[in-house]
Amino acid sequence: MKIDLLKMVENGGCSAKISPVQLEEMLKFLPLPEDPNILVNIDTRDDAGVYKVNEQLALVFTTDFFPPVCSDPYEFGQIAAANSISDVYAMGGTPVIALNIMMFPSAKLPVEAYGDILKGGSDKASEAGTRIIGGHTIDDFTPKYGLAVIGYIHPDKIITNSGAKPGDCLILTKPLGTGVILAGQRLNIAADSDVNEALRLMKLLNKSGAEVMVKYNIRGATDITGFGLAGHSLKMAKASSVSITLNMNRVPLIGNTYALIDQGCIPGAAFRNLDYAEKDTVFDPDLDYNLKMAAFDAQTSGGLLISVPGRKEKELLLELKNSGLTSSAVIGNVSDFNGKALLLI
Amino acid sequence: MRIVDTKGQQCPAPIIATKRTLKEAKKGETFLVLTDNRTSLNNLIRFLKDNKTEFSVEEAGDIWTLRITKKTAEVQQTEAEKYCNTDIPHFTQGNFIIVFSSDKMGEGDEELGHLLMTNFIKAIKDLESLPKTMVFYNNGVKLGSVDSTVSEHLKEIEKMGVGLLFCATCVKYYSIEEKIKTGSLSNMYEIAQVMASAAHIIKP
Repeated sequence: MKIDLLKMVENGGCSAKISPVQLEEMLKFLPLPEDPNILVNIDTRDDAGVYKVNEQLALVFTTDFFPPVCSDPYEFGQIAAANSISDVYAMGGTPVIALNIMMFPSAKLPVEAYGDILKGGSDKASEAGTRIIGGHTIDDFTPKYGLAVIGYIHPDKIITNSGAKPGDCLILTKPLGTGVILAGQRLNIAADSDVNEALRLMKLLNKSGAEVMVKYNIRGATDITGFGLAGHSLKMAKASSVSITLNMNRVPLIGNTYALIDQGCIPGAAFRNLDYAEKDTVFDPDLDYNLKMAAFDAQTSGGLLISVPGRKEKELLLELKNSGLTSSAVIGNVSDFNGKALLLI
Repeated sequence: MRIVDTKGQQCPAPIIATKRTLKEAKKGETFLVLTDNRTSLNNLIRFLKDNKTEFSVEEAGDIWTLRITKKTAEVQQTEAEKYCNTDIPHFTQGNFIIVFSSDKMGEGDEELGHLLMTNFIKAIKDLESLPKTMVFYNNGVKLGSVDSTVSEHLKEIEKMGVGLLFCATCVKYYSIEEKIKTGSLSNMYEIAQVMASAAHIIKP
């Protein structure tokens, strides 16, 4: 029997994230632990926490897990692992060890699927140079998988959401559209070539992007996942106390993403993200509606959004493209805070 | 009347069905969209509002009915006040427009370019017939800023009945919204329309 994980879920991947509005409401009541060795916590809306061990070493610690984004268990394992590890890369760290987190409906899925998901995760972790040294499984429907990852980083070289400076250029390293294409796939209106390209991009590690960032001493970056390009840009703008302008005409989209949105294929997560970002965002009157919604499309294992200072964007772009992130593009810029954190043009 | 039944469907299927029907419908046609999912309803409402589509919602039991009427693309209304604040109404206007894509005139030294542009704008007032419209985009919008050397001249030209259109995208891009006190902010459609319908375009 061919296993199809997609038959089991309504919202796969990062679309399954809780609404950012709700999340911020709930986290308000959670006290933040105080410790001088905590270098990065949730306060800066960052991708991972960072804890200083000594003057040369800090640990980047993150976790992420979600329901299936594709039919094939092995491929799902790869994507979930790439997505989990991405948070370490987004902060400029090197992933070192990880634990599996798995929810698996043992009564509804054959045990081979379980093995295939873990194999996918393990292979992707190996590609990232990360050792999976344990894990935990709960019997639960629907299936969910991801990793908790620890990475190394130098305490003075942490790349955060709060490191964007006025005058910086913004580079995005992967095209947008995974949410739209996966929704289109469920409705049988997405082209196979687009689905395959989306899968390839979701499996693609942000490793080489992180290496380029470290080489150029980048201080501000994030990875684009469930809150969409606009949502994560907004978090970065707020954490950095700046305004960010995104030129949506310059943002690369996967294959026929635009045409799918034009047909009305706009996943619910995009509306949720729009609700979250709207009050802090100015939309240019000329902004195309479909491009606007593309900005809010929830990405799974999306690219890095890098804030590049000192007019180095052309050099970085070249290196990123040469490293396999061929769709990298300059898509916006950072300016002094002008009353609204985000401007979409 | 067409009825689009999206009961039992989840996003984005109801939006796709609604959009398809909107495309197929004739101007003035009204159709119904049914949904039994609150999230779908909210997203549909959001989608229709963003696309400036006329609709109403009725709730009966667990089913919502959206009554949607297709209207054609909105025609830009001419603002009366644009034509009412003309103090000196007897200037003749030719069927030409002037397009400012830069705040400098010609290639070469920056200072000189600025000076030439200032002189050019001053000279417009003395032309035998005035331009119908002056369009400002990219660096050109900076001419309209209150800090600009020509802002007073532009105000005068506007009073003479010349329309001043500033590209809104550009004004926002350069963060000078607060500083544009003359003319009106415009979108690319209007700018393209003005350019396409002019007999001559002058570009200093």
